[in-house]
Amino acid sequence: MTPAVRRWIGGGLALAGLLAYPHLFGIYFTNVFVTFGIFALYAVSFNLLLGYTGLLSFGHAMYFGAGGYGTALALTHIKGLPLLPALVIGLAAALALAALLAPLMVRVSGTAFSMLHLAFAQLMFVLALKLRAVTGGEDGIGGFRIPPLSIPGLVSIDMKNPSSFYYFAAAVLGLSILVLWFITKTPFGSVIVGVRDNPRRVAYLGYRVPSTKAVVYLLSAGFAGVAGSVYALFQNLISADALHVSNSFIPVSMTMIGGIGSFFGPILGAAIFGVISELTSRYTERVDLVVGLILILVIMYAPLGFMGFVDTIRARARPRVVPPGATEPAR
Amino acid sequence: MYVAQGVHGLAYGMLLFLVASGLTMVFGMMGILNIAHASFFMLSAYICHQVLALVGSFWLALLVAPVAAAAVGVLCERLLLRRVHAFGHMGELILTVGISLVILEGVKVFWGTESLPIHVPAILEGRLALGGLDYPVYRLFVIGLALVVLGALAALLYTTRLGMVVRAAVSDSGMVNALGINVPVVFMLVFGTGTWLAGVAGVVIAPILTVYPGLADQMGMDAFVVVVTGGLGSLWGAFLVSLILGELNSYGVQFVSQLAPVLMFVFMAIVLAFRPMGLFGERE
Repeated sequence: MTPAVRRWIGGGLALAGLLAYPHLFGIYFTNVFVTFGIFALYAVSFNLLLGYTGLLSFGHAMYFGAGGYGTALALTHIKGLPLLPALVIGLAAALALAALLAPLMVRVSGTAFSMLHLAFAQLMFVLALKLRAVTGGEDGIGGFRIPPLSIPGLVSIDMKNPSSFYYFAAAVLGLSILVLWFITKTPFGSVIVGVRDNPRRVAYLGYRVPSTKAVVYLLSAGFAGVAGSVYALFQNLISADALHVSNSFIPVSMTMIGGIGSFFGPILGAAIFGVISELTSRYTERVDLVVGLILILVIMYAPLGFMGFVDTIRARARPRVVPPGATEPAR
Repeated sequence: MYVAQGVHGLAYGMLLFLVASGLTMVFGMMGILNIAHASFFMLSAYICHQVLALVGSFWLALLVAPVAAAAVGVLCERLLLRRVHAFGHMGELILTVGISLVILEGVKVFWGTESLPIHVPAILEGRLALGGLDYPVYRLFVIGLALVVLGALAALLYTTRLGMVVRAAVSDSGMVNALGINVPVVFMLVFGTGTWLAGVAGVVIAPILTVYPGLADQMGMDAFVVVVTGGLGSLWGAFLVSLILGELNSYGVQFVSQLAPVLMFVFMAIVLAFRPMGLFGERE
């Protein structure tokens, strides 16, 4: 079997698994999987900044929240708004916020970038709490109408049914992750890794570093917005909690635990995260205690995360063969 | 009325500087902002509550709690932070996130999530009439204590040889290390002192704000804004911005109460738009 055939078979099996999932595991685990998917996209969009461009954001929750609030507000105030436009409004809200902040953010890097995000996300959190008339304060916006997914004249699928929502969410989130994966494989994806490793040389090669950073920034924010938007639809609620610092730290933990070094690390991290919170939440409310401890252990003993750990073991198990023309994987 | 509000702002600004001074010095030496810094501030407030519950003496708590918090801080530095130093700033920064999560959740496990009131000794209660206005005695005590601590700190930093070494290490730790001074030990000292200062602020603020798990978020965010706006690694910048933020908060609450927390971020955004390295900062 050639690698291409193997990849097609693997993809086919994964798709079949995704399609069969809600029928095999029931409503509870279907919902668990949707949550996992949302946070997987959120973490992957975050890792586009951290892993590929070397920018550590401590405020990614503001884009997640912008997406959620955008969709929730649109569905509350616009009568008869269909599902997909509501999703697009969430995406647009996150993009608008990112476009507003990008001119400042592309000029800074390192600690200043992290701290500015921490501060701006906190600003959004405070605004969401204080502007009660718009955002509903602590209670957030809930109970808005979830429109059916309809193609006029053809079908109309009720999104209140957990398993239909699962298919909708899986399609949106899966496609988003695929698009991000595709982007990292394009020449542009190589340029952003160059910006991380040696911005001066990239500039010397004729690429515009600030604009490149701005494009990555918008992409990352937009997909975080999509994740937030699906989250709002899934919960039928968005509240200031989505903008809280702890929600900004979630993708940080997921990415570090899963592995900063690869595209799929954050997805693995989201899965590990989901399993941890499923298991620990049965015994204790203090899930973050476990997450914090694991985070410390990972950074101390496996700084490349679970994915890096697997790679190390694999590299030890068999001699490394570098295929001709291969480059180092993005770290 | 305006004067009393100003005194409140001054008291808060002073406390803010107690927290931010350690943060900015640690940044100067380590190159990262310690996310867990405010967690030690909160831990100290909780230890103060515990001491009060066991012994009942606020003065003892004021003595013990900051030292205990500093001890935890030094342990974290020795056992955790130092070991990941070689992996670069990203690891250290995220490690401090892990430490802050563990402290936050640990505090909830030990003391619960509701806010615990702290009572001050009788001598600090009541109000003091001065020049036709009356001030709460406790706020004056806070300002006085902060001035004493900061005076001692300034004397240590600017008149002793150790202070000179610390200031040099903050501005260029590599060079100081090359000159034969044991920078890791100096750093441990700075880290410990920084957490001790934050601990003092934690105990002092506990009677005003009560002790609750959100304490670290609230103070931590203000301290980060101070350090980033004042210029990373700059003590004078941190001092100036602490006082400005204290007053901004206190008059903000009076005039535009709903949007008072936003003022701080607006101030920061304006400063950073013109000077990305902060008011007195030399690096980004």
